[in-house]
Amino acid sequence: MSQGLKSRKDRRATRRTDDAGKRSEYLAFGLAGETYAVPIAHVAEILRPPPITEVPRAPSTVCGVISVRGRLVTVVDLRRRMHLADAPVDRKARILLADVGSGEQVGLLVDEVHQVWRLSAAEIEPAQVLGGDQPAHIAGIGRPADARGRILILLDLRPIVEAP
Amino acid sequence: MLEGGGGREGADKARDEFFNEAQELVDGLGRDLLALDAALKKEGQFDAELINDVFRGVHTLKGLSGLFGATRMAGLSHQLEDALDDLRLGRIELTAAVLDLLFQAVSLYTRLLTAEKGELPEPAQEVEELLSVLGQVSARRAGASVGTVAQYDLDPGLFGVLTEYEEHRLRTTIQQGLHLHRIRVRFSLATIDSALDELKAAVRPHGEIITYLPTGSGTDAETIDLEILMASAEAPDRLRAAIQGPNVSIDEVPRRASASARPSLLAPRPAEARVPGEFGPVPPGPSASAAADRGRAASLAVEPQNPAGAASSMGLSRAAVPRAAAAGEMSLRSITQTVRVDIRKLDRLMTIVGELAIVKTAIAKLSDQARTRAIGPRELAHELQRLNRTFDRHLAQMQGGILEVRMVPLGQAFDKLARIVRQISREHAREVRLVVTGAETEIDKLIVEELSDPLMHMIRNAIDHGIESREDRLRVGKPPIGTIALNAFQKANHVVIEVEDDGAGMDPTALAAAAVRRGVVSAEEAEAMTSREVMALVFMPGFTTKEVVTDLSGRGVGLDVVKTNIAKLGGVVDIASDVGIGTKMTITLPITLAIINVLLVEIGGRLFAIPLANVDEAIALDETHVRAIESREVLSVRGASLPIARLQRLFGMQRPRVSHQRAFVVIAQVADRRLGLVVDELVGQRDIVIKPLGKSLAGTRGFAGATELGDQRVALVIDVAALIEEVLASAETRRLAQIENEESSRRHPALRRA
Repeated sequence: MSQGLKSRKDRRATRRTDDAGKRSEYLAFGLAGETYAVPIAHVAEILRPPPITEVPRAPSTVCGVISVRGRLVTVVDLRRRMHLADAPVDRKARILLADVGSGEQVGLLVDEVHQVWRLSAAEIEPAQVLGGDQPAHIAGIGRPADARGRILILLDLRPIVEAP
Repeated sequence: MLEGGGGREGADKARDEFFNEAQELVDGLGRDLLALDAALKKEGQFDAELINDVFRGVHTLKGLSGLFGATRMAGLSHQLEDALDDLRLGRIELTAAVLDLLFQAVSLYTRLLTAEKGELPEPAQEVEELLSVLGQVSARRAGASVGTVAQYDLDPGLFGVLTEYEEHRLRTTIQQGLHLHRIRVRFSLATIDSALDELKAAVRPHGEIITYLPTGSGTDAETIDLEILMASAEAPDRLRAAIQGPNVSIDEVPRRASASARPSLLAPRPAEARVPGEFGPVPPGPSASAAADRGRAASLAVEPQNPAGAASSMGLSRAAVPRAAAAGEMSLRSITQTVRVDIRKLDRLMTIVGELAIVKTAIAKLSDQARTRAIGPRELAHELQRLNRTFDRHLAQMQGGILEVRMVPLGQAFDKLARIVRQISREHAREVRLVVTGAETEIDKLIVEELSDPLMHMIRNAIDHGIESREDRLRVGKPPIGTIALNAFQKANHVVIEVEDDGAGMDPTALAAAAVRRGVVSAEEAEAMTSREVMALVFMPGFTTKEVVTDLSGRGVGLDVVKTNIAKLGGVVDIASDVGIGTKMTITLPITLAIINVLLVEIGGRLFAIPLANVDEAIALDETHVRAIESREVLSVRGASLPIARLQRLFGMQRPRVSHQRAFVVIAQVADRRLGLVVDELVGQRDIVIKPLGKSLAGTRGFAGATELGDQRVALVIDVAALIEEVLASAETRRLAQIENEESSRRHPALRRA
């Protein structure tokens, strides 16, 4: 890499940091027409859905178990967990392997995976802007400056993993 | 995604190593102490090397705990080391009370390790108490005896070069009435290391080596003469026969005729006269001067096995001896899950991996050929079949090899139990002997770990409820010391463990009465029970016959926990008892949890696995033999009634569009309870590796785990014990099934089952 390029990049990065403070990375995905995002640090892996084995008597939000390289992983249908309408699983569907450090990885079935956003603190609104009584898994609203008005519903995966 | 720093990972690994090593050391200490205890009881004396082993173990623990900042453990080790050093040098006597303290230290170590893992608070107070008692013990050093050594015709200069420890051993062996022998050996300098080791090994069965002294009279530069002083009970002739060699000569050191007339060589020896020569620095010790003060031949023989007397003679009241742990919070489970593996076993596995790699290469080549159509379909199929067979064979070897690695001898659990038996019997003044057979029986490491606590409960129960007091035993003509036999053996694919006591046994009538009193069953129910059913009551939660609750048992916790824990391992517990003769509890366990043989079945279009260990047989379902009794379905099978459960309905699964012409009943059995599981199809048998469902499905009952079927699919493994419990839970259903049983056997007397 040439010296000029590097210094230009450095300058830009410095400017952005000055503007907005520390940035965190979020993985955005689609669910029933809305865009959601979760801290990418909590996503260990993105999988194409293998055949999912239903578990009788499991909570209705659980679509079943899959084997990820020899390890059993419970898959939660995020649509059902968020009380959204059911939809058939299609080619774009993915399973996010969520790992919040609780000792268990849980798969989250989503409609499609979009992209990674780097959000500064200024681009995140707290969940309270949506009104008082928000469920525990809603962490806030992301408004990326360069997303042309699109918003991201930011999720906290911990309550979802702990009580699927 | 960011990775955690390598430093933390490394530190965690080192910590794991610390726990593994510390646990092994503590286990080793327990074993050595038991050996000491046994020797003390049997012969009244012990092998000095055992004390040295304990000393070394504690010393290593001290270093290890210091390294990892486990300060309390290091402190305990330090004080123990002092006490053990005193024991080694004979400054204090090894009595049963001192052994108690050492055993307490072992259980404290275990609790400290658990605390280090952050699972329990540190037993700070107990450690402090033990430390202060150990301090008292060290302060109470007894004077060692002198004088007897003078009876032997030994070079007075000899005593100048003996270390304090060697001197002590010399004195002790003489007091035990052993003969002293002088062995002169000529070693070649080139091979002295190995030759000396061989000699030590040859001598060890016959006696104890006190010291090695160079004579300085080697004939040339290549050889060296050593004089070895050894103590032995055997005559010189026999020793000469046992310890042969071209350059070995053995002479007995003669006793002096007028020994008592000579002044003691040892007593007046001042500390500064010692020669810190090639034997290492001589530890300064008060024993020589203390000995001179007393001048009497104090016996080093060990005290009789009277628990109360031993404690008081140590000047310790019962209360001063800290209790190791309250019975309730005690666990024998290891804190680590490590398996030590013989490197040769791993080598074999590695060889198989090599074979598998060859198969892989062949497959790669074949798929290349198939892609470029260099090979015809018939030939391709043939080759694939051949490779599949090879692959199958190697995989089976691999599976077997890994299973073997997981297997450990049951002795790992039994060693800890022996410690418990000693502790309990001493605390409660019940004299009990533990006889173990089959400790070498191998079982999966995971099972061994889960087995320790149930076995401990069973043994506690046997001591508290089974073994009578000494007086009672003598009155009925039994040997005064009770026996608990712990037998293990393999039976087909199961391991059987029996805990048998020769105590008072259990009276079914008294049991039933106690059960009614406790409200475990109603009087009518008790009336209708067979004696075997009454025996099974001891496994009910909240059951106890004891009016007085002791800290051993009697709180009604214990045996129900035993049953639950054993059931979790896929095993069953049975109990049989004869009044006045004893009680026998039998645990039957599968050899391994890792790989199980299952019956694959189809229910509602999906595959499920039922462990074959729980399957009696599978039969076609004849709907005409099914009768509904109060919403429960019962099937008549060969004249007997079998409650059945339609799994599709039980699991709340939707019916498939195609209904099956004919269903099957898999007759499952756990202990003596049977249930017919109705399934759509029998698919076949298979060996599977069972994996647990995640925490998020902890609330979902009826499944023991799941397994991968190849082709990425997963099949759930049915937890037969849980289903039987669920379906047959209410006593009402049980009774219904029972009535049915009697009726049908009345109708078909010829088919009545034995």
